[in-house]
Amino acid sequence: MLLVSHLSKHFHDQPVLRDISLRLAEGEVLAVLGRSGCGKTTLLKILAGLETPDTGTLTLHGQDLLPVPPNERQMVYLYQEPLLFPHLSVFENVAFGLRIRKVKEVEIKRQVTDLLAELELSEHAQKAPHQLSGGQRQRVSFGRALIIRPRLLLLDEPFGNLDAQTRTAMQELFGRVSRQHGITSIFVTHDSREALTVGSRLGYLERGVLTSFATVAEFIQDPRTNIAAELSFWENIQRTANPTPTPPQKGGALVLESKNLEN
Amino acid sequence: MRSRLLIFFLVILFALPFGLLGLLAVGEGWRFPDALPPAYSLEPLRGLIAADNGLLAGLGQSLLLAGAVAVLATAGGFVVARAVARSRRPGRWTALSYLPYALPPVLLAVLIQPFIIRMHLSGSVGGVLLGLLLVALPFATLLLSSFWTQRATEYEQLASTLGCTPRQALRWVLLPLAAPLLRTTLVQTFLLGWFDFGLTNVLSVGKVRTLTVQVFTYVGEANGPLAAVASLLLLLPPALLLLANKSALLRKP
Repeated sequence: MLLVSHLSKHFHDQPVLRDISLRLAEGEVLAVLGRSGCGKTTLLKILAGLETPDTGTLTLHGQDLLPVPPNERQMVYLYQEPLLFPHLSVFENVAFGLRIRKVKEVEIKRQVTDLLAELELSEHAQKAPHQLSGGQRQRVSFGRALIIRPRLLLLDEPFGNLDAQTRTAMQELFGRVSRQHGITSIFVTHDSREALTVGSRLGYLERGVLTSFATVAEFIQDPRTNIAAELSFWENIQRTANPTPTPPQKGGALVLESKNLEN
Repeated sequence: MRSRLLIFFLVILFALPFGLLGLLAVGEGWRFPDALPPAYSLEPLRGLIAADNGLLAGLGQSLLLAGAVAVLATAGGFVVARAVARSRRPGRWTALSYLPYALPPVLLAVLIQPFIIRMHLSGSVGGVLLGLLLVALPFATLLLSSFWTQRATEYEQLASTLGCTPRQALRWVLLPLAAPLLRTTLVQTFLLGWFDFGLTNVLSVGKVRTLTVQVFTYVGEANGPLAAVASLLLLLPPALLLLANKSALLRKP
């Protein structure tokens, strides 16, 4: 159980996080929606130990995290860029955390091979990072984090640089693997649809203030998430494009028009 | 065809000094207007191993000095460049790194000479090394500052959250990432120390006779064959170094 209480942070007298409190149970995925500059990255960096808060407390399973250095927290921070190590192959990138922990070679081989298979990367094991597509790189980055069985996974808009199709596939993969491994994570994004897809819990961060929502309905109805307005927009589009009550034909004008608008 | 011609000319241009120096070293009685020496002798080359001319000792001293300058300046530059990049005002420190280049090395040597004497390092390899480092360290810092971007910080932080101690992050992540730039810096600072004459000549007060200093002496004495042999020796290590590191030096930015 992650417990964050009254966390605050200032940069040059500017408040970045204000009195943040949250509670996250094991296996939950908290999706935090927020626009650029709302304090999402600072929140994750404080949790990872890469920044120190001005005030507040952090505990994980009852352990005070503040005196614990980032390399001992067992919390992996994933950036928007996969940041694969270019001097290592896919296999070695994934094995990195195990090698640091001096795990036996046989065990490294077994664990990495299994994880690569799970992430559908087996055939790319010996490739260099630059030989992979954006989605594959992000999967390797995900695998490199998963292999050390993090107590908390911190994802900072990890799929932000992917095309729409790959992004959807990665969201599905993240959800599946998270459930299978019971990963507790905080996933920040500026995409409300992504937040709804990956999150088992939902939050909204604005000007350093975090609002947690008890239900999906509350999240949708909050005007700041803009979801209600977007739904209404699509309904209007549907009404304009198809005034008769008959359902649209597959591959018809409505579907094409919607896709264009989405892009 | 045009590119082949260009490569041919470049090869000739690169090889010509070596060829001419070779001819000067082994040619006897080569005078104008002869296109080639009338006779050849290996005597000057045999003189290489003669104990009294000090060429091999000079080669050893040059290798020691340039090697030490390269290693210390590159290692120091890596650390200083990181400190500069993470300082509150990196621009100010970067501007300061350019200051040693406002002075010619000889003038710098004259200015620091009193301090070198007070440290009892005058005329010693240590004194010359210190003087060369004053030029090479800022140079290495400037070269390596391009590595310490936001991206390097992100890699370092990622490694940390994956479980690396700062030392492991340096060993397994940062040094491999910086390897091409470190190689380039090693070569460049080696060449800086290897070819320096003015600063070394002033600080060594005639006691540290590097190969470059000896070449200047032989040229001054109009000792053509020995100057040519010494120059060949002088060109050999940098040429080998450049060939060995051509992939790093020619890497795409």
